[in-house]
Amino acid sequence: MRILLVEDNEMNRDMLSRRLQKKGYDVTMAVDGRQGVEMAKSGGYDLVLMDMSLPEIDGWEATRQLRAVPETRNLPIIGLTAHAMAGDREKALEAGCNDYDTKPVELPRLLAKIEALLSPPK
Amino acid sequence: MPKRSSPRARRQAALLRLTTAIASATDETDVYRSMVEGLHDEALGYNFLGAFLLEERSGDRVLQASVGWPDVPPHYRAPRGQGLSERALEDGQLHYTPDVTRAVGYLPSPARGSEVDVPLRVDGRVIGVLVVESPERNAFGAEDFEILTAAANQASIAIGRARLLAEERRRVDEHKALLDTMADLSSDLELPRVLQAVLNRAVTLLGVTGGEVAIYDEETEQLAVAASQNIGKDSTGTRLALGEGAMGHVARTREPLIIPSYHEWLGRSGQYADVTVHSVMAAPLLIGRRLVGAIASVHSDPNRIFGSEDLRLLTMFAPQAAIAIENARLYTASRRQKQYFEELVSNSPVAIVTLDTNHDVVSCNPAFETLFGYSQVEATGRNLDDLVTTAATRSEAIQYTQQGLERPIHGIGRRRRKDGTLVDVELLAVPVIVDGERVGLMGLYHDISELLEARRGAEAASSAKSQFLASMSHELRTPLNAIIGYSEMVQEEVEDLGQPQLVSDLTKIQTAGRHLLALINDILDLSKIEAGRMELYLETFELGTLVEEVATTVRPLVKKNANQLVVELPQRPGTMHADLTKVRQMLLNLLSNACKFTERGTITLTVRRQRDDVLLAVRDTGVGMTAKQMERLFEAFAQAEASTTSKYGGTGLGLAITKRFSHMMGGDVTVMSEPGMGSTFTVRLPGKVA
Repeated sequence: MRILLVEDNEMNRDMLSRRLQKKGYDVTMAVDGRQGVEMAKSGGYDLVLMDMSLPEIDGWEATRQLRAVPETRNLPIIGLTAHAMAGDREKALEAGCNDYDTKPVELPRLLAKIEALLSPPK
Repeated sequence: MPKRSSPRARRQAALLRLTTAIASATDETDVYRSMVEGLHDEALGYNFLGAFLLEERSGDRVLQASVGWPDVPPHYRAPRGQGLSERALEDGQLHYTPDVTRAVGYLPSPARGSEVDVPLRVDGRVIGVLVVESPERNAFGAEDFEILTAAANQASIAIGRARLLAEERRRVDEHKALLDTMADLSSDLELPRVLQAVLNRAVTLLGVTGGEVAIYDEETEQLAVAASQNIGKDSTGTRLALGEGAMGHVARTREPLIIPSYHEWLGRSGQYADVTVHSVMAAPLLIGRRLVGAIASVHSDPNRIFGSEDLRLLTMFAPQAAIAIENARLYTASRRQKQYFEELVSNSPVAIVTLDTNHDVVSCNPAFETLFGYSQVEATGRNLDDLVTTAATRSEAIQYTQQGLERPIHGIGRRRRKDGTLVDVELLAVPVIVDGERVGLMGLYHDISELLEARRGAEAASSAKSQFLASMSHELRTPLNAIIGYSEMVQEEVEDLGQPQLVSDLTKIQTAGRHLLALINDILDLSKIEAGRMELYLETFELGTLVEEVATTVRPLVKKNANQLVVELPQRPGTMHADLTKVRQMLLNLLSNACKFTERGTITLTVRRQRDDVLLAVRDTGVGMTAKQMERLFEAFAQAEASTTSKYGGTGLGLAITKRFSHMMGGDVTVMSEPGMGSTFTVRLPGKVA
């Protein structure tokens, strides 16, 4: 399973990627929204973990752009924000995220959300 | 059976009746009537007679009363220069015409015989004539002249008195009218003058030697003589106790009094030992039943005594004096009150202006001059809205002014000074209603420029603070995420490597980190709420689903202190329309509090509907709180005791946030608790938040 992690903060990127890799995922990283969109469109990913506060293009805009083109229209995206502010979840879902979680991640919870999106609908 | 009496006796009885009738006549017309009717007595035998009054303006004689002249109209005029009775008017003498048919200038009359004309005089002036006719010639003799002259003289005296009385009554009425409209005319200084005038007239009309008027002072319970005339000394200023002297006596009894022989009277005052009065008549001055003074008149002539008629006259003057005193008192009181209010207005730091119904300035106080820069003179008569508004505020100001004429209004606005600068004011306008009539309005302006400036400063500072907190929280969170994340990672590694002694230390780092993160998040929430940047995201959700989710989330916390969670839901919880995230956060806050402060107890989450509201209650069986602990419960960083934070953990912000969230959604949160009896927190929210 290939996950694209879009995260500008180096430590967060390092930490999350290592923990996911330990759980057996193939993790590729992008450092801002624009790069994230380009890489996602180039294809080959099963899921995107999208930080919402990003330079260049923020996570909401990046999600909207991915939803606007056929090749990524149905790509599962999980939005991540630093704080579960009221409205963040709604905003993320509105932009087109399939799900949403807060940072710092609680790994079991995030893994459950990832698994739910990756297992084919019955 | 009455005894048959002699003609002479009957004549005398008739004359006595005549005298009595004249004396008791109440006014001038009555005197004429009494005279002619009294003379037209069977015993006297005068059958054709009339009383004429000389009309000064025309010189005509105008008939006032008559007997035996059925064809003569009531106010018949005998033209000047005609008729026999003219002569009596000219020379003031009695004239007898034994045969009218031979007399020159005779005006035809039914009784064509003889005629007697008797002049009527008042104060030495001839004012009219009594005409007595007989169909027979030579009908009258000396005895008739005597009777008729006596009757005319008595009538003259009665007329004189009636005229004086009428004059006095008119004066009483005029005086009363004058005093009723006194305010600006009357004054303290005027009162002694008014009382002196009243006293002088009373003395003249009563025909007495002199008199006094005294004012009652309620505070000292004394009478003070305010006017004095001819009592043998100037008694003005003399003070009499109640019961002292004639005036003191009537002041106490509230009844008039006649003292026939003053020097023998036991009640006389030592202060009047040196006066040489013979008899005294006094009356209290009353307004209703309230004593305001006393009036007295004196005779120094031992041959004159006071009678009931004198008393009646004196009591006629009493109201004049009483009203004068009362009005002076009212005037003084109202002037004092007026001065008092004028002082208040002129010293008021608040600008005060009064307007008429056209919105023109009637008056303004010094604070108004200071605030707007217009002097009283400049402002008076000008339209207020012209004076103090700008193009931008004019319509608003006019609206305020119009409303202010109807009812009290209160507002805040910006007004223009004379020099064109603007000033922020708080304004208050109330209608001015005098005797039920709307005469204008009173406006109050309070300069709130400084206040607004301070508020703007405070708001800017508060906003800057919130901004600072928001960005600081954000900046703090990034490194904290790393701390928490890496410690978790290391913990996983360590677990895999089998080094349990490190696990507990790493757990402590994580716990502390998560607590710090929760604190930062709560601070961020609060600062957003306070900066007004917290928004509501309203959606419709199932209450049952929410409760289930929350219960699942909180279960680990419940188990920690060996508590048990009970959820009480109505059979059909239904949906609510609100900010789901915030409602969830509120419930989690209350539940985690309950878990923290309860050990081996029960925590109950109850959902109820009450009319259009949803009630979410969290009840625990924990330590509870005292009334004092509950006071500051919902304030930020106010856990019941500072020490509780270290013992129970938590940020101390959860309840503050819960309360603010509930307010944002139009609800509230309340608490009931007793030490040792647990606590119940209840959130009430509208089922459909608008």
